[in-house]
Amino acid sequence: MSKRAKKKTLKNPMQTAFTRFMLIVALFVLWIGGIGVRLVHLQINQHEILRGKALNQRRDTVKEKQLRGTIYDRSERALAMSVKVKSLYADPAEIEDLETTAKDLAKALKVKTAEILKPLKEAKDAGKRFVWLARKFDEEAARKLNETLENKDLKKADLPRFAGLHWKEEQKRSYPYNTLAAQVIGFSNADDIGNAGIEQSQEEILRGAVIKGWQDRDRLGRVYDESSEDEEREPPKNVVLTISNSIQYKVEQALEKGVKEANAKSGMAIVMIPQTGEILAMANYPTFDPNKFNEAAPENFVNRTVHDSYSPGSVFKLVTYGSAINEGIINPNGEVDCTKGFIEVAGHRFNDPHATKWMGYDEALAVSSNVAAIKTGLLSGKENFYNYAQRFGFGQLTGIELPAEAGGILRSPKGWNGDSLASMSIGYEISVSALQMASAYATIANDGIRVQPHIIKEIRSADGKVFSTTEAQKTQVVTADTARSLKKMLRQVVLTGTGKRAQLNGYTSAGKTGTAWKYNAKLKKVDSGKYVSSFIGMAPMDNPSVVIAVVMDEPQGGARDGGQVSAPVFRDIAEQVLPELNVVPDGNTRLDSLTAEEIPSDVEPAAAVKDVKLKSESDSEKTAKVEKSDKKSADTEKPKDLKETKKEDKPPAKNNKNGAKQKTAVLNIEIPKNKSSGNDREEKT
Amino acid sequence: MKKRSLPKNSNREKIRREKDPIPWRYCLLTLVCGVFLVGGFFLAARSHFSSIDFGIKNSGLKKQIEDLQTEKRRLTLLKEIALSPAEIQKAAKKLGLTEMTAGSFETVRPSAEKNEKPQTVKNSEEKPKAVRTEKTSETKNIEKVGKDGVLKDKTQTVKKEVREKSPTQIAKK
Repeated sequence: MSKRAKKKTLKNPMQTAFTRFMLIVALFVLWIGGIGVRLVHLQINQHEILRGKALNQRRDTVKEKQLRGTIYDRSERALAMSVKVKSLYADPAEIEDLETTAKDLAKALKVKTAEILKPLKEAKDAGKRFVWLARKFDEEAARKLNETLENKDLKKADLPRFAGLHWKEEQKRSYPYNTLAAQVIGFSNADDIGNAGIEQSQEEILRGAVIKGWQDRDRLGRVYDESSEDEEREPPKNVVLTISNSIQYKVEQALEKGVKEANAKSGMAIVMIPQTGEILAMANYPTFDPNKFNEAAPENFVNRTVHDSYSPGSVFKLVTYGSAINEGIINPNGEVDCTKGFIEVAGHRFNDPHATKWMGYDEALAVSSNVAAIKTGLLSGKENFYNYAQRFGFGQLTGIELPAEAGGILRSPKGWNGDSLASMSIGYEISVSALQMASAYATIANDGIRVQPHIIKEIRSADGKVFSTTEAQKTQVVTADTARSLKKMLRQVVLTGTGKRAQLNGYTSAGKTGTAWKYNAKLKKVDSGKYVSSFIGMAPMDNPSVVIAVVMDEPQGGARDGGQVSAPVFRDIAEQVLPELNVVPDGNTRLDSLTAEEIPSDVEPAAAVKDVKLKSESDSEKTAKVEKSDKKSADTEKPKDLKETKKEDKPPAKNNKNGAKQKTAVLNIEIPKNKSSGNDREEKT
Repeated sequence: MKKRSLPKNSNREKIRREKDPIPWRYCLLTLVCGVFLVGGFFLAARSHFSSIDFGIKNSGLKKQIEDLQTEKRRLTLLKEIALSPAEIQKAAKKLGLTEMTAGSFETVRPSAEKNEKPQTVKNSEEKPKAVRTEKTSETKNIEKVGKDGVLKDKTQTVKKEVREKSPTQIAKK
């Protein structure tokens, strides 16, 4: 049967062809199947490995840090901004001859060959593929280096055209105005992390995220495809401050001059708009350059206006009188008995060199009478005084957008001693920051409404759209009538009291001097050799455009009172700032002939008593006249001041000093008329 | 070996002839498919390479934008440095400009407002009185001219005349 079957099969050629065909098809199927299996194996089982290998050949992972946000002042001027810079690195694996490369590089970078050769060799031996050679070149320097290092025979897509060398982009923080508002702006360190000021407090907003991405390169190294993995992330935002760069500059100049003249340890100044709570300037001296923060003394990084707290002294009497007037406890037009020249509270005797008679409250504040202030404080009562101090913002943070703000110390009445209220009434047993004091005076300037001080105007997104605007909280602390009464009293300080040096040329001003002994932690009591002298004032008086606080720490010159040390700085600042703010002058020209003898001392009792005794009868008459006329009309204060000087001028000068004073006074009156001719004045003199 | 006796296939020629037209069609179809396939590959390759080319150009343009933005920032920074208050003050001093003071407002005030300020006028009237105490010939000149309202210029011109002209010339005049 089988033979027959064989014969049959052999006999059928079609069958044979079909069989062969099927065999070939089977072979093909097996072959394709094999390939298919292999492909499945490669693409499914070994997918990750092979993909990685393929990507490794053509793809670079890129980590790019977004540029840090810019800090602007209120007029859109950049106070801090980041720019891209280039850093040169080497890949030792791509370098064949390390020594020649090191020589060429050393020549181009102007360094010693060994400085480059050593890290290159070490990296190559360790198998490292990244060595920094030089960092943070600007565009121009990088271009020059590219030209120097160019090897025309080398085919390389990126610059520099030199084997194994590459550029890496980094960013550098720049502060174009150098020391301007250094403590406010702060600085960011080498890792672009804010370390002080706005840079620190707004780190989250300003910080540029690290964006991971990739770049596909062809065989020549040219990028033909790229993408970032984190495209959805918002870019950093820009911060617009309320600071005005020109006002800040002027304030810093005036403060520096004042600190040097007073030979003070340090000084601080704040210029604030009372109606909005915006800080126009916030200056500290000594200062530093944030571009070179490594070279600066760390203690200068501190923004003392918000960080340091001190006993305010007489400037705090504003709260004392404010609380009593607002509660109707005293009448601002009334009088207070200061005939004794001292007051004893809980066994503590408070001497008062400034007042030894019955005097009006305005006069008492003008001469900075401690007895009057203590009596007022005692009348006001513990709880009332404490409540008002709190309402003025003492003992708590102002909420300004700056780091390390001090809230000061305001103890609860439960912890007070018998004489605490008396001490606090004249600005002791309490510690405040300069900003808190400025804010309290701004409250009075703004008809009793306290506006939260702030330094950030708005935050903007990278495309310039406003992201958020600061809305300051407003609180009515005292009534508008009380505020007006206090303003009048403060005006008296400048006209006839301790703050005469704060009289402005062309504007009316009001304010209060303060001179306080510093607390010595070692001795655990106040140190009568160290002072904090301050002047806080406002101008123009009727509708203040600015409140200016000037605080000098440890003035060591002859004059140490706030009226002699800080008031002139206030005057310097106000006379420059007000015209810049287009405030129309409302006052007359200043009499510049004031001397230290004419200004009642704020601290030194002996000197002050002496001054009182030495005052001539004509002087006291003159003062009385001026006071009476001032009460009649606030607007006509200045001319009376002029008259006052003329009366002084009338008797022929017994000493040359007075004679000189007369001339100066007259010439100063002429200044606005002949302001363009400085020589004119000299001729007349 | 047994000789295989194949049946005489008389119509083999005929069969071959019958099969002839089919391969041509197949060939044509294969050719078309081949051309289509090759064309497809060609187009795919072309679009692949052109996409790479566009990618390179795109990356170049992106780089250019980044470079321009960097340059813009650099120039902004330079502008800010040049326009810093300290630099402006230096430049202003070179030009002879002075700081704006409260007195600067006098020039922009309307005349009516000026008249409302009797204090200033009073002061200017009182000035000569104070200066008069010195009683020199020069102050007399100043006093006279001061009342006319042009205090400095005339005094200066008088002085210039005295310096430049001889006494005889002045007498003639």
